[in-house]
Amino acid sequence: MIVTRRTPLSRLLHALRWAAFILIAFILNLPILATIITSFKTAGDINTSPPVWLFAPTLGNYEEVLFTGNTDLVSYIINSILIAAGGTLLAMVLTFPAAYAMVRYEVGKTWLLPLITNVRALPLIIYAIPIYLMFQFVGLLDTIPGLALIACIINIPVALVLFVGFIQEIPEEMDSAAKIDGAGKWGILWHVILPLARPIIFAVLVLSFVYSWNEFLFGLILTTKNAVPVTVGATFFVTSYGVKWGATAAAMTLGIVPPMILGLFAYPYIGKSMLAGALKG
Amino acid sequence: MAHREAGVRETERANARVFLIGLCVFLALMLGFPTLANLWYSFSNVSIYDLAGTAFVGFANYVQAVGNPNMWAALGFSLKFAVICTVLEVGLGLAMVFILHPILTKRPWLTGILMLPMMVSPALMGVMYRLILNEFTGIVPAYLSMMGLPINLLGRNWIYETVIAIEVLQWTPFAFLIMLTARQSVAGELEEAAAVDGATGAKFGRLIALPVILPSIIIVAFIRFIDSFRVFDHIFVLTGGGPGNETTSISIYIYKLFFTQSKIGEAVAVSVMLLIASLALLYAALRLAVRRAPA
Amino acid sequence: MMRTSRLIAAAGAAVLSAALSTAALADITILAWPGGPAEAALRKVVDKYNETSDSKAELLYFSRDNFFDKMLADAAAGSKEFDVMLTATYNVGKYAPFMVPINDLITDDVMKVFPQSAIDSQAYEGKVYGIPTDLSLHFLYYRTDLIDELLSNDDWKAKYGEISEKYMGTKMEPKKPDDWTWDDFMASALFFTQSINPDSPVRYGTVLQMKNLLFNIMIWQGSAASYGGNWMDADGNITVDSDAYRKALDIFKKITEWEATPGDSNSYEYAEANGAFGTGQVAFFIQWSAAYAEFVNADDYPAIAGKFDITHEPAGSEGPKTHFHALGLGINKASDKQDEAKAFLAFLASQDAMSLYAKEGGQPPVVEDIIKAVAGDRPDMLKMGEHTGKYGIVMNGSTAAPALGVYSNMAENFTAYWNGALDQDTAIANVVAYMKEAYGK
Repeated sequence: MIVTRRTPLSRLLHALRWAAFILIAFILNLPILATIITSFKTAGDINTSPPVWLFAPTLGNYEEVLFTGNTDLVSYIINSILIAAGGTLLAMVLTFPAAYAMVRYEVGKTWLLPLITNVRALPLIIYAIPIYLMFQFVGLLDTIPGLALIACIINIPVALVLFVGFIQEIPEEMDSAAKIDGAGKWGILWHVILPLARPIIFAVLVLSFVYSWNEFLFGLILTTKNAVPVTVGATFFVTSYGVKWGATAAAMTLGIVPPMILGLFAYPYIGKSMLAGALKG
Repeated sequence: MAHREAGVRETERANARVFLIGLCVFLALMLGFPTLANLWYSFSNVSIYDLAGTAFVGFANYVQAVGNPNMWAALGFSLKFAVICTVLEVGLGLAMVFILHPILTKRPWLTGILMLPMMVSPALMGVMYRLILNEFTGIVPAYLSMMGLPINLLGRNWIYETVIAIEVLQWTPFAFLIMLTARQSVAGELEEAAAVDGATGAKFGRLIALPVILPSIIIVAFIRFIDSFRVFDHIFVLTGGGPGNETTSISIYIYKLFFTQSKIGEAVAVSVMLLIASLALLYAALRLAVRRAPA
Repeated sequence: MMRTSRLIAAAGAAVLSAALSTAALADITILAWPGGPAEAALRKVVDKYNETSDSKAELLYFSRDNFFDKMLADAAAGSKEFDVMLTATYNVGKYAPFMVPINDLITDDVMKVFPQSAIDSQAYEGKVYGIPTDLSLHFLYYRTDLIDELLSNDDWKAKYGEISEKYMGTKMEPKKPDDWTWDDFMASALFFTQSINPDSPVRYGTVLQMKNLLFNIMIWQGSAASYGGNWMDADGNITVDSDAYRKALDIFKKITEWEATPGDSNSYEYAEANGAFGTGQVAFFIQWSAAYAEFVNADDYPAIAGKFDITHEPAGSEGPKTHFHALGLGINKASDKQDEAKAFLAFLASQDAMSLYAKEGGQPPVVEDIIKAVAGDRPDMLKMGEHTGKYGIVMNGSTAAPALGVYSNMAENFTAYWNGALDQDTAIANVVAYMKEAYGK
């Protein structure tokens, strides 16, 4: 690394960069920050104009959404975790071998890959009624596996494109070497490609989890009580009798924490794999 | 390529199709059936009282869909929205890369803080903005009014800019992350080489880094365009598509046709046309890409 | 189907519950309107029911925003996720094919609990589909401190005259809200708006709810009715293109243009309007009756505690009018537990259940005797009953199947007019065209 001399100008520039960072971070995260703050306010403090920064914080809103209220936020959060995990794993199991075949044997690359990429461009609402009827017919309505399947549909395009992009980066010689050692296709996939693909798998995992977690519309339409995800559950506090802002803010805070923690740690992998996958895929 | 080799390759390819089975079966079940059902719906008199859609009505649903000026307005909104958001996200993301790259390279964990918005569900993001943009209880108008700026960001004069701003604020981090990663990938060697050649920071950015980031810009723009085009959640939460239809995106339009107006056939006809159009576009884009890249 | 889904979700529990359900009376699930005092009250009633009944009832709620979309998908697909479901005056026609008529439940005893009009609000083409549980109408909520000052302070009175002359062309005198016409409503809105009258202690005269949302049209249409407006005449001809509708549309349009309502009113619905009035920044507004129970809570709304009152909507040429509707509970046709659902509704329609419901914060449209008996706990219910009888209107055709779509279409076009995206003629023409098609005229 080259050490640059610190002239007054470069020092000023550096300070400006820091100022810019703080400003940008503040603006981008303002809604999240305000929501977290609101979640500790009483209704009286919320209904004050202009809004107050200083107030006696209360845990009442959390108490309400978690324990005393009429909605079961804890189980909504558990539902969301199960749905996102299920949808993520299924999408990976389905797309990883497919990506391998597409790259190495060029099967389906010309028709299946574009078709699947296209799924991402569609407003999925149009499938609401057929899927509703189908789920009802096979008994998947209002179940966690049902919503995991939906999450899987959402994840497949991204997972596939990223896997294809990454596997293309792996030199084919690695396969050939394993082939000479007598490994079959599955063997190569399992023993050669999979270990190499760890970073991308991690990225897909996180990205898929976040996408699944944040899905709203199907979560709303396909569930009634057993499989309600937290994104939908948090809006239960927006009622015809007014928005209970305090409770809503508390529920939203709880609903956004898991994906945010994941994102906080996993973003470098996401960036790298997105870049690689998108460029090569 | 020799014939024999090609033959071996053919059998290998046939065998490799096994790897696709799981994915294909899943897609056939989860998307194939609904797509067929939708196709039938778009040609039938389906209604909420007759979900089987027992009568064939030809292209009536399509004629009605195309003849509705609101559909074209919604399509126009989505296109314009997607273009503006994409340009802003890429532009702002790029600016952020050049401004923040030096400090983030030394303290990478700071990047995570900027990534938080894209982890939040857009539906909840809409609710959050409903909270903070309210003239009476929101914190944003309270400070804007102190600075003498317009405060009714959800008012009819600013609503269009506001829904765009919300989309941009949530997704600029995504554009930023991808482009930052691309920028950082050129950091090490190239930067040293450039420094040896005497290139200053700014010059380096212009001459060397930008061309390297360019492919990532195209990718980011593509992904963001697609995602912004089908925008639904935060606008629906904030404005319900109004005032009037001013913020009705094509997704909101289809949703309302479907649920509020119960015109299932027409709603599905719109989406079938959308499906065909996007397939055609994607196909054209791929052909273009293939032609440009020597095989 | 139900069992399969449960098996997948939680195999053990499902087997157990299936085994139990064949032996005794099955438990039922009730889909009800979410939130507020009504939800809390209904829970109390259900608890009471569960104390005595073998068939236990469980409540189920969706979020308000997409409630009807979700319920439509469920109903159309013949969902069995709930046995008792929501009915509403404005969509009883739409959901009637998915429900079971319960005329046999409406006994003489039930008629001692509810007035005929309440039962009618749950009926479509002669069949009753629901037991009414909640009445909704609109009040004019106003700040007593501000109005008292306006009526007694000579400087304010002079200013009031000055402003009304400048903006409305006639010099007006302040009046009591009980005696307001829509002109008084508009003049007072001007007077209490700071940008027009810098001396006003509040920022805005009133707050209108103009988000593109069907419920907002219900709030507004009392003004159209007060000038004699109606969806259609007795013969079923669409009569929206009328002076009454134009006049009423203009009231909102003018107030918007004067900026006597917050500048982002086009994104306002119930919650935002309550926030504006509840933070003490608005002098008066038209709002759902349900808000009363919220505002009396001084902890939640310290700015207006003890400083507001309610009266009927301002008068038009036909006197004051208010939209009203009732929500109720009826039986899902697809449910396998018809008898259990009926048993619950029979309980719900009893005087005991309804008195409890009223006492706990519900707004049942019950007969005067019951209202008087709970008036100590619920002073607002007296006015609700009185107003519905005197001023309540139900637009012709607004209980039929297309009604919900008509409200949505009106919301789309009228909010566009108020916010300058459409001119009045086009907005009205669009609505008329939609209604003609929807009603097959």
